[in-house]
Amino acid sequence: MLFRRRCSRRAPAALSLYPGPSVDTGRAAQFTGVQPNAPNLRTYAGIMVHQLSFAGFACKNLLRRRLRTLLTLCGIGMAIGAFVALVGFSRSFEHEWERLYSSSGTDIAVVDKNFMNTSVNESLTPKLRAVPVVAQAEPMIFNIMDITPEVNALIFGWNDDSYELESLTFSSGGRFHNGKPEIILGEMLARNLNKKVGDTIELQGSKFAITGIYHGGTALEAGAVIMSIDQLQILSSLQGKVSGFHVRLRPAPPGESAERYLKRAQAQIEAALPGLNAQAAADRASNNQFVSLAHAVAWGTSCIALLMGVLGIANTMAMSVFERTREIGILRAIGWKTWRVLLLIQVEAAVLGFAGGILGLGFGFGALHLLANLPQTASVVSTSLSWLHLVQALSISVLSGLIAGAYPAWRGAHLSPVEALRHD
Amino acid sequence: MTSPQLEVRNLRKSYDDGRIEALRGVSLTIDSGEYIAISGASGSGKSTLLQLLGGLDVPTSGEVLFENAALGSIINLDEYRAHRVGFIFQAFYLLPTLRAIENVQVPMLAFNGNANHRAERAKALLQELGLEHRLYQYPNELSAGERQRVAIARALANKPSILLADEPTGNLDSVNSARIMEILTGIQKTHGMTLIIVTHENDIAHAAPRHIRIRDGRIEA
Repeated sequence: MLFRRRCSRRAPAALSLYPGPSVDTGRAAQFTGVQPNAPNLRTYAGIMVHQLSFAGFACKNLLRRRLRTLLTLCGIGMAIGAFVALVGFSRSFEHEWERLYSSSGTDIAVVDKNFMNTSVNESLTPKLRAVPVVAQAEPMIFNIMDITPEVNALIFGWNDDSYELESLTFSSGGRFHNGKPEIILGEMLARNLNKKVGDTIELQGSKFAITGIYHGGTALEAGAVIMSIDQLQILSSLQGKVSGFHVRLRPAPPGESAERYLKRAQAQIEAALPGLNAQAAADRASNNQFVSLAHAVAWGTSCIALLMGVLGIANTMAMSVFERTREIGILRAIGWKTWRVLLLIQVEAAVLGFAGGILGLGFGFGALHLLANLPQTASVVSTSLSWLHLVQALSISVLSGLIAGAYPAWRGAHLSPVEALRHD
Repeated sequence: MTSPQLEVRNLRKSYDDGRIEALRGVSLTIDSGEYIAISGASGSGKSTLLQLLGGLDVPTSGEVLFENAALGSIINLDEYRAHRVGFIFQAFYLLPTLRAIENVQVPMLAFNGNANHRAERAKALLQELGLEHRLYQYPNELSAGERQRVAIARALANKPSILLADEPTGNLDSVNSARIMEILTGIQKTHGMTLIIVTHENDIAHAAPRHIRIRDGRIEA
């Protein structure tokens, strides 16, 4: 009857539902070590009322298992980092190709169907130069060669009077000469090889004198070797053969659009040189086999890395939902709808994805910087990242989070409140 | 004659493919503002009845009507739990990562509303329950009695018309039990709320104006 006596003795207060000072406040203070009226607490309480937002609630859930969340972030961060670095690498490679053509003023590349083949007859040069729309046409060879066991580089074969040399600025020395074992090196390659004008370099068992060090407009040129076509033909035992021709067109006649003129020029060249393809330089830059291969490898590797990241988030979210089964039951018991519980878990997954994405951007940018400074890759990598690429990486990261969180969210949201509350 | 706030018609609930019958045809009516205690032995079905009254579970057969509308068919259970009833559990079930004031805001997060309004209401409720000095403590920093008061504040957050308490004093000592019961009955009187308490404590059961005994899934005469 103790309860009855208390009830009758103390009527509920009009303003306060609490009948009196708590007998357990002191016990709690002993437990927490915080005195109820400690100045810091009172000040804190006095400044502002603590608001709980939906997103804040989601973040608090993620922070309860900090180590697990951190490891998950590292997982998705590495995946996004791989994406940023690899796709950034391949795009930078493509971009450098575009610059390579645009800096020299090449409008059209005339090549065989297989880009890598040095199978086009150099003897077709006069025939190409005779096409009315062609202002200049230069044969060229393009290849990749091991300069040292550690360093490989792009190697170009040009004539010593090719218009393509006009876009290069010599920091020391000058051009090579046709018929002589002479080469010029891009600044970056010269630095990596520690070579200067007057030194010699051995390529495929033959010695070449370095006549010039040039500053190229692109990373591809800055890390390349350029020599005369005839010397490169001897080196590769492909006398009389070239990879193709680079063409500068005459100015478009008044009244004809650049696009239409380009198409007409392509048609004229292909008609004059049956069996060869005349491709617009911009198309050639983005569609050549090197760039296509780089894109394919980058996306393929990134997808595998992203799959790992998605599995990491899925595991974290599944564990989190399992551990919080009773809490989800509480949310359902106090009126949270299925979709709101689903949204909460998906927001948590998306926050993981977003934070992992930010971390990944840092990893990726760091990796690109590293690649751009490695002798083996410096010639084809620049550290510039486009906004589009960054947004794409973050979007993929958030999307990965949402995909990974979908099943755990669905499972959590559809728990029966009673069953969930019984869960240990 | 006014219609009852809650009406239970021949309610049955079984588990395990019908092998366990928790409720075997319970019928009762509850008027608005009533204070009812439901008691019975462990496993008698009293908590199951409370869960069905609160829309936490669905009956195997029979129905629960709230203001003459059937739960689950006419009235959406989520909406019902969010707006009409407030739950208080024996084990408090506070969210451990949230401070007291945040725990009270959680039911209000079930809808899109003003964050400041939510926080102010949570603060006012906790102040009303004598916890103004514990607003920013986490559940594990509160005593059992304080945790139950936070749970009561949470149950009141969305201004329900029915308060359902499942053994609300089960984890408390006698002094704190009495205080919690004073708070609950005080709320019931001042706000005119319906209070339904499931308990196995005779003191609490007998203190209620209306006492329902459950035995083997049926209401005892």
